[in-house]
Amino acid sequence: MKHRALLTALAATVTLAACSVGQEQTAQTQPGAAGKKEISFLVFETPNMTPQVWDAAIKRVTDKYPDISVKKLVAPSADRVSYAKQLLASGQFPDVMIAVSPAGFAESGAMAAFTPEELKDFDFPNNGAVNGKIYQLPTNTQTIPVVYYNKDLFAKAGISAPPKTYAELLDDSAKLKAKGITPFVVGGGKDPFASSLAWTATIATDVYAKTPDWMAKRRAGTVKFTDADFVKATTKFADLAKQGYIDKKDVARDYAATEQAFLDGKGAMYPMGNWFAAAGDDPKRKPSWEIGAFNWPTDDGSTVVPAFTGGGLSVSATAKNLPEAKKFALAYTMDQANLDASVHNDGLYPAVKGYTPPADTGAVFKLGYDLYQQGVQNKTVTQAFGWESGNDGMLPGLVDKWQAAAQDLITGNKSVQEVLSSLDDEWSKAS
Amino acid sequence: MAVDVKTTPVPASATLRSRRPGRIPAERLRSFAAFGAPGLLIYACFVLAPIAISFGYSLTNHNPFNPPTKFVGLENYRLLFTDSEFLTSLRVTTILTVIVVIVPNVAGLGIAVLLDRKGWLYNALRTVFFTPMVLSSVVVSIVWTRMLDDEGPVNQALRALGVDQPPGWLSDPRLALYSIATILSWQMLGFCVVVYLAGLQGVPTELAEAASIDGAGPMRRFWSVTWPLLAPALTINTVVLLISAFKAFDHIQVITHGGPGTGTTATIAYNVLQTGLVANRQGYASAMAIVMLVIIAAAAAVTLRVLNRREVNL
Repeated sequence: MKHRALLTALAATVTLAACSVGQEQTAQTQPGAAGKKEISFLVFETPNMTPQVWDAAIKRVTDKYPDISVKKLVAPSADRVSYAKQLLASGQFPDVMIAVSPAGFAESGAMAAFTPEELKDFDFPNNGAVNGKIYQLPTNTQTIPVVYYNKDLFAKAGISAPPKTYAELLDDSAKLKAKGITPFVVGGGKDPFASSLAWTATIATDVYAKTPDWMAKRRAGTVKFTDADFVKATTKFADLAKQGYIDKKDVARDYAATEQAFLDGKGAMYPMGNWFAAAGDDPKRKPSWEIGAFNWPTDDGSTVVPAFTGGGLSVSATAKNLPEAKKFALAYTMDQANLDASVHNDGLYPAVKGYTPPADTGAVFKLGYDLYQQGVQNKTVTQAFGWESGNDGMLPGLVDKWQAAAQDLITGNKSVQEVLSSLDDEWSKAS
Repeated sequence: MAVDVKTTPVPASATLRSRRPGRIPAERLRSFAAFGAPGLLIYACFVLAPIAISFGYSLTNHNPFNPPTKFVGLENYRLLFTDSEFLTSLRVTTILTVIVVIVPNVAGLGIAVLLDRKGWLYNALRTVFFTPMVLSSVVVSIVWTRMLDDEGPVNQALRALGVDQPPGWLSDPRLALYSIATILSWQMLGFCVVVYLAGLQGVPTELAEAASIDGAGPMRRFWSVTWPLLAPALTINTVVLLISAFKAFDHIQVITHGGPGTGTTATIAYNVLQTGLVANRQGYASAMAIVMLVIIAAAAAVTLRVLNRREVNL
């Protein structure tokens, strides 16, 4: 038949389309004048980090260094790490990228290491090391999660103060549920990390607080996901869903909608990274009710603050203009206005020596920052599971499996034992 | 009802001349080369070469973050058929494909029959039905994510009708795959309608009139006259739907990210991307892609063969 050849060609074409690994990049180019050294810079957009925020931040650096022009690349979703891998695989690895975990990139020689001299101004210059070298500037600290809560809904449920122990947290959740209020706001959909924040919290209080080097031990094979402490932390998380304190339907809601749901008063507690402060303090989005914050409580009431320091810029080892790429990365990071902007726009805590947040930060930022400072003073800061970097992090591909597992636990699709055994299996496959 | 039209016999001498390979005029060969070579070159570069390269990678343990790359023979293929994640994605893809091949085909045929009339209203309705087809998959996915959200219009309508606990269309692991299949079917429906409409408009009216004179009612006329002549349209729709469903990726990526949970909506195409670009196992992912290619090609070939037998020539 006439259409047979057409269909055969069509079949081959669409099949190949499915198999192709690259994605077209969305780029906004700032035209570089003759003589300028151009570098490409991979960014990602979120409700906090809008195109205007990125453009202004880049402009501040290029104004300072007019010999550099920047071609901005925007990741198609918040998952800039996968996009960076696609760009690397297709020979288009960006010269500079932000918040791309160096795991894998560094070992394969795709990223350039920073020298101790280049890192001298950072509070934690060795954070996120891969085989002893730093490939991502340890620019800022994020506490993951802080539990933000709706004071109005707490009052409606007759709760006068945030919980200090895990038992009190469960008691408060029961009171909220009895009043028809969803205790916890979680998300998921295309942003599955939003399903896992409460699990990060229980792992901090029940695993990392006791065994700070748990991940190093997992890499060495001396601990497993199915060990007692991890089972306890996971069971706590799974039970929140089982008790109806987490709405199973929320796992289909993406991150932006989840943030808005909390601001709209659709749940009482929102375990989220401290970057939520940018939305909570935004005059256009600020709710009419008051936001409070507390650290996820432990069984005995001691304080544990899960946090991650890193998230900064990395540079390609094969950048055409490597010195300019490094110069841009360091200048972007150390620029006072950019640091202040990261506080205002993304609620971050810059980990740069001598830096203090601007005086005009919002109330929600201050809540999270004060909790973090207490953790620093009491030496109770732990790793934030699922967010660690470099050799402190999970093996490539495991974070996604872990986030999917969080949804399995929330929906009740798998038991705690099934989920943890499966994670051990995935670890074996990846190692 | 088969209809054969006799063609004028070709003189034997002419047939013999045209079959002699050595007698093709040089001018025609030059024309063929001039017009055909660019197409062949593009096909070779962008279709055949990537398949060959992928196959080459599938015989290695290629991981750009964990060199060196070693030849592993058929080990990746052996592992695939014991990999529960791959087998789950094969099951998910098969269910999705069966639904997406059947639903738009059946609904598209019904709608095309209803729209096979003249008038501005029918023209407008054809445009309406075709619109989803021209929309980007990402746009469609975002719209449907909002529609099927627990607070979205679908569940709001169900609540208004008295359903206290409407389903979690995208959050319930038992429902999410069927919701994705519905969205894909909705988007492909317009394509089926247009192809069936084109087929319906190619059915000679005199055949239906003759059947009518012979006493056939509307149903009898449809099944005995119209339906056999729609066979080419059915072939095109079925093969295109089969391929589209089997390679489904973008809707999954935007709506569910393969979830909720582990692999509940993860198709093979989604799994290829995750394995290759998240877990970095690009040799293994290439083996998945090659198996996917073979399955699609085999399914498309069988479908074509079966459906072509039904086709009639006028």
